[in-house]
Amino acid sequence: MKKLNIEVIGVNPPCPRCKKTEENARKVAAKLRGEGIDVEVNKLDISAKETVSRFGVVMSPAIVVNGVVKVMGKVPDPGIVERILRQEL
Amino acid sequence: METKRAVKTALMLAFILFFTVMMARAIIGSYTLTPQSTAEDLRGLPLWEIPLVYLWDYVQHGWLCLGFAFSVAGVFSEFLPQSFMLRYMSSGRRVSYLVATVLAPVFCVCSCTMVPIFSGLLYAGAGIGPALTFLLVAPANNILADIVTIQVLGWRVAIADMVAAGIAAIAIGYFVSKTPWGREFESRFAGNRGNPGQARAVELVEQPLDERLWSALKFGGYLARQILPAFFVGLVAVSYVQAFFPEELVRAYLTGPLGVVVAALLGGPLYTPTLIEVALGKALVNLGMSPGATVAWLMGQPYDIPNSLSTSRIVGWRIVVTYGVLSFIAAVASGLIYGVLVGTF
Repeated sequence: MKKLNIEVIGVNPPCPRCKKTEENARKVAAKLRGEGIDVEVNKLDISAKETVSRFGVVMSPAIVVNGVVKVMGKVPDPGIVERILRQEL
Repeated sequence: METKRAVKTALMLAFILFFTVMMARAIIGSYTLTPQSTAEDLRGLPLWEIPLVYLWDYVQHGWLCLGFAFSVAGVFSEFLPQSFMLRYMSSGRRVSYLVATVLAPVFCVCSCTMVPIFSGLLYAGAGIGPALTFLLVAPANNILADIVTIQVLGWRVAIADMVAAGIAAIAIGYFVSKTPWGREFESRFAGNRGNPGQARAVELVEQPLDERLWSALKFGGYLARQILPAFFVGLVAVSYVQAFFPEELVRAYLTGPLGVVVAALLGGPLYTPTLIEVALGKALVNLGMSPGATVAWLMGQPYDIPNSLSTSRIVGWRIVVTYGVLSFIAAVASGLIYGVLVGTF
């Protein structure tokens, strides 16, 4: 079974857009888990040195799937997040 | 499904086109989009009515300009290749100063994104110079503020402000990167430059046009929801300034070389969103503030207190004080130069 590792990059303390993005990601993750897919969602701080050294300069909010930034600088609707995740399966 | 998509796309394009065409018509027909209320109009009214009349005046004339500004802001943030620009800015070469100045305006974002990009540029080894240039230019010259400044204060003052802010930001960034504490700070992250893994870690997915347009409009709407409430509250204050602030004081202290210095001092520490600063500037211009002082007033943006505090947590107070002082000098210099150029102080 394939595993999906989702990371949401946002500012800390979270701005409304980052919060919304994380919410959408978690919503989709819950749905996929219901189908028996192993999904993990974590949050990354955009200003952390660790984040920058992994991805360079990104715009918040951003969604990372299995270590690759897929969306940045916008809040994707749950439907869009789901499509992106399914492409990775 | 396909037809639904096409209809949605067409509707959203029509929406954006509507604002663009109306805006172009207003400019060509030189129909003014700024409020017309003067101190005389407002003073005769009962106290509670002043902000209402002033706000109505703004809404009536300004809805088109604001609608256009927010739509353009959304479209820019969605359709311009930001990841490409960010990579260019963090390349650590001389060009990155220019890239930061020319491209920062299109990152029309709230301050909550500005500081993370700034710290990101630093950690990525872009150098303190280009990062500072970005930090100073972005809030002053973002597309949203530019459209409103052109409409409210006129294109001459607006262009002068944009050009001066750009030049000042490059000069300040460069200067700070040459100071001992600037060098010291920069050397901490120099090793991070040009990490090849970073380029591979970003692979944005392509989205169909209707999704992108919707995302653009959503972001424009988000910006409007974030900015407009504060803007309207600010306008209430501005309406009282317009009505009651003594013209003699403005004439005495906001004209001539002294006026430039006073305006630069006031424009800075006063923490106001750019849009309110523009509106307040307009009220002061109506009361007699000189063009030179107006430019200095607008240039005061980068060194307001809350922004400086959050920056100093990242780069330390010495760098913040250095660029604060330099920004003030730049504001005064630009105001004086503009005053000389247009011939009236």
